[in-house]
Amino acid sequence: MRKGLKLAFYFNDARCTGCYACVVACKDWHDIPPGPVFFRRVVITEKGHYPRVSVRFVSTACHHCDKPLCIAACPAGAISKRAEDGIVVVDKELCLGREACGGACQKACPHDAPQFGTEPNPRMQKCDLCYDRWAEGKRPICVEACPMRALDAGDQDTLESLDGRVKERGQS
Amino acid sequence: MPPKQKPKGKEKVVKTACSSHCGGRCLLEVHVQDGVITRIETDRGEEPQLRACLRCRAYRQRVYDPDRLHYPMRRTGQRGEGRFERISWDEALDTIVDELNRVRGTYGPSAVLFLGGGGDATQLHTSRLLGGLLAMTGGYTDKWGIQSFEGGLFASLATYGTLSSHNAFDDLLNSRLIIMWGWNPVTTIHETNTSWYLLQAKEAGAKIITVDPRYTDSAAVLASQWIPLRPGTDTAVLIAMAYVMIMEDLFDKAFLDAYTIGFEKFRSYVLGEADGIPKTPAWAEAISGASAQVIKDLAREYATTKPAALVAGIGPGRSAYGEQYHRASKTLAAMTGNIGIHGGWAGRSSVPQVQFGGYDFKLGKMPDGGGNPIERGVPPRKEGLPTLKGSDSGARIHTAEIADAILKGRAGGYPADIKMALIMHTNPVNQYPNTNKMVQALRKLEFLVVAEQVMSATAKFADIVLPCSTSLERNDIAVGGVPPFYGYVKKVIEPLYESRSPLEMCQGLASRLDISLYEGKTDDDWLRELAEKSHVPDYDAFKEQVIYRIKSAEPHVAFKQQIEDPEHNPFPTASGKIEIYSQELAAMNSPEIPPIPTYIEPWEGPRDPLANKYPLQLITTHFKRRAHTQFDRVPWLRELMPQAISINTRDAEARGIRDGDTVKVFNERGEIRIQAKVTERIMPRVVDLPQGAWYDPDKQGIDRGGCANVLTRDKHSPGGAACHNTALVEVAKVDEERP
Repeated sequence: MRKGLKLAFYFNDARCTGCYACVVACKDWHDIPPGPVFFRRVVITEKGHYPRVSVRFVSTACHHCDKPLCIAACPAGAISKRAEDGIVVVDKELCLGREACGGACQKACPHDAPQFGTEPNPRMQKCDLCYDRWAEGKRPICVEACPMRALDAGDQDTLESLDGRVKERGQS
Repeated sequence: MPPKQKPKGKEKVVKTACSSHCGGRCLLEVHVQDGVITRIETDRGEEPQLRACLRCRAYRQRVYDPDRLHYPMRRTGQRGEGRFERISWDEALDTIVDELNRVRGTYGPSAVLFLGGGGDATQLHTSRLLGGLLAMTGGYTDKWGIQSFEGGLFASLATYGTLSSHNAFDDLLNSRLIIMWGWNPVTTIHETNTSWYLLQAKEAGAKIITVDPRYTDSAAVLASQWIPLRPGTDTAVLIAMAYVMIMEDLFDKAFLDAYTIGFEKFRSYVLGEADGIPKTPAWAEAISGASAQVIKDLAREYATTKPAALVAGIGPGRSAYGEQYHRASKTLAAMTGNIGIHGGWAGRSSVPQVQFGGYDFKLGKMPDGGGNPIERGVPPRKEGLPTLKGSDSGARIHTAEIADAILKGRAGGYPADIKMALIMHTNPVNQYPNTNKMVQALRKLEFLVVAEQVMSATAKFADIVLPCSTSLERNDIAVGGVPPFYGYVKKVIEPLYESRSPLEMCQGLASRLDISLYEGKTDDDWLRELAEKSHVPDYDAFKEQVIYRIKSAEPHVAFKQQIEDPEHNPFPTASGKIEIYSQELAAMNSPEIPPIPTYIEPWEGPRDPLANKYPLQLITTHFKRRAHTQFDRVPWLRELMPQAISINTRDAEARGIRDGDTVKVFNERGEIRIQAKVTERIMPRVVDLPQGAWYDPDKQGIDRGGCANVLTRDKHSPGGAACHNTALVEVAKVDEERP
């Protein structure tokens, strides 16, 4: 992979039907057991009163921010942003565990990206933008799952230059 | 999930077409290591890709479901109790054949009932195999009435003389206006890419309106307007739209003159010339709850925007007089001249996988014994259309009446005294109406066999259960769209435990019944034969590529020839025209099946006196995380959303119900305890309990699983429509711990 890429997700909420294909595909690909850990989630917002209602679906995961607040918050230096592609990753060996550190990354993240299992003192886990798949020339499992083509991923500058697309940036 | 130790072998990726009992057919890339499925990807090939929905993304957990049946079993406890002991395949098959011979010998072949269903909706491993074998060996009592869309089927045959009445969904890209009437393709996956085409139509500027008691997920993303109406009143609104078009001279007179018969009789009815009731928007408002102004505007918009597609979903047709809804929507399509043109819509009646209903898929047939001998010479039902061919036989029992027929037999006016039943690929306890009556009926049988993948609500009542393999454990062919394609359903792993395919079960029974037809032939041999009659030019290449697309220059449009060159292409009706007035229906001389589309006040509708006691109309819709009962126990899907009854905030407040409370939902037929979902997304006085949740009665017989059919009535519409959306209920808070 070319050096210096800033990989990011693109999401178009006008297309998302809240179908959860991305969520389930992610759990299957990363072999995440049923339970509280979701690398990708769908947030549903309902507004208004019958019969004037509106509903919005937002599929969200780690934003792989330019300046990730989780990295700054982690007392163990377990989270890093990869120089080659900008993917934010966590080193499970270095992570102290939520009980030990109080879940500093989780509190710092505005996107609820850090996830914790039900085991004792769970280590943080989260979306890794499927870096294993990029190496095979594939896009993240959620992107390739989306029946409405609401999700995309790629170099942030390239994604933003595409016509008609709204910028969705992480914390920058 | 079984892979306890880390697999060591090399991972391989197997492409296959997936098949479940939904409206979609998609492609999967299944990762397998040491014979175990490890991951699933979807179509990554040429566009339009056939991307799987959440259900097949979780197929791994369906295959390794802890509820899978491992080996044949014999019942040791009471029916329904779920206590069984393991037996061998030989013992199971010997017992079934002994019982079959005993019952036929004692009572005659009509005492044997066979209930087959769609199951995984493929072409080889279908329940028709077993039906064919029973036909070859003396016959059986069959059912009629397809629960999903019998109303649409009846209306399509009566109006057009054919079921091939729909444009391809990619043709919606040519529509300027799309009305999603009781249609929620985002959830039902009514063909794999339908929502994707609707979205593209919207992005290209088409206006989309939704008419539905619910603000569905499809409505939320695709529609710019929501018109709520009471369940079962769709026909009244459609007819009032016709009234507006007639009064304001907004209909296509030239089209009606050239291609239809009977419009004058319909016009007379609409204007109230015979009954003194003009079917005005105000008349429809009182019935439906949709305002007269909204109805007027909708009629004007549909009549003046061309081309326009009024897509009548099949859900509203699953109601009392559901045939009339489909007939009325087709009449409006004719009045607006939207038949036989790109961007129009003549009215869809079924799903494309039904071979006779879609893109003229062609496939060979499995042996069917040339028909069921007990039906030979039996006169057709009075209300059966001649074009229904076979399924109009008077020897058949409607799906909705199976339980009643088992309980009452000939003394109750049914054509047979049922003593034994074989059930394959269907789950009548859960999915036929009036669950509690079905429970009673199955208890009365002398012998019951159920072939199933899992310990379903129905399997619990069996004397013998046979474990069935899933679609990833056997070879098959599936058809779907859009664009239309044949998909090869490839065996990805060996069948789990002692499960067998329906073909293997049939072979085992056939050899015991002295039928040699199936001997020595594998599923691949049969598939090659089926495919020889299809569009597929090279079976081996197809098997390798797992997909063969039927290419066409443009999206399929139904009735194009009939409209462009009517002289040489009459409609396949008695008159050769679109029959707004149907001579065949007139000949039935039945006030409940009138020859013109008519609004008939439904039983258990909002104006039924029973509404004083049970004031809420229940609809039983499709649930995103299930395909009917399939996938219900899959943990990755279950955790996304609980089974719950949707109730409008006002109705909930009036009953002291808060979101998440446990409530009881009840009527004379039964009671369910389930979680309440309080929402603004459903009409007041309407509640929605998604169908397909597994029936799970407690000791008092109260269902804790949320099986909607505990509450539905076992009565079908006169034309055959199932009525899973016609039921009155009451909801009340109960003081129980939250689940």
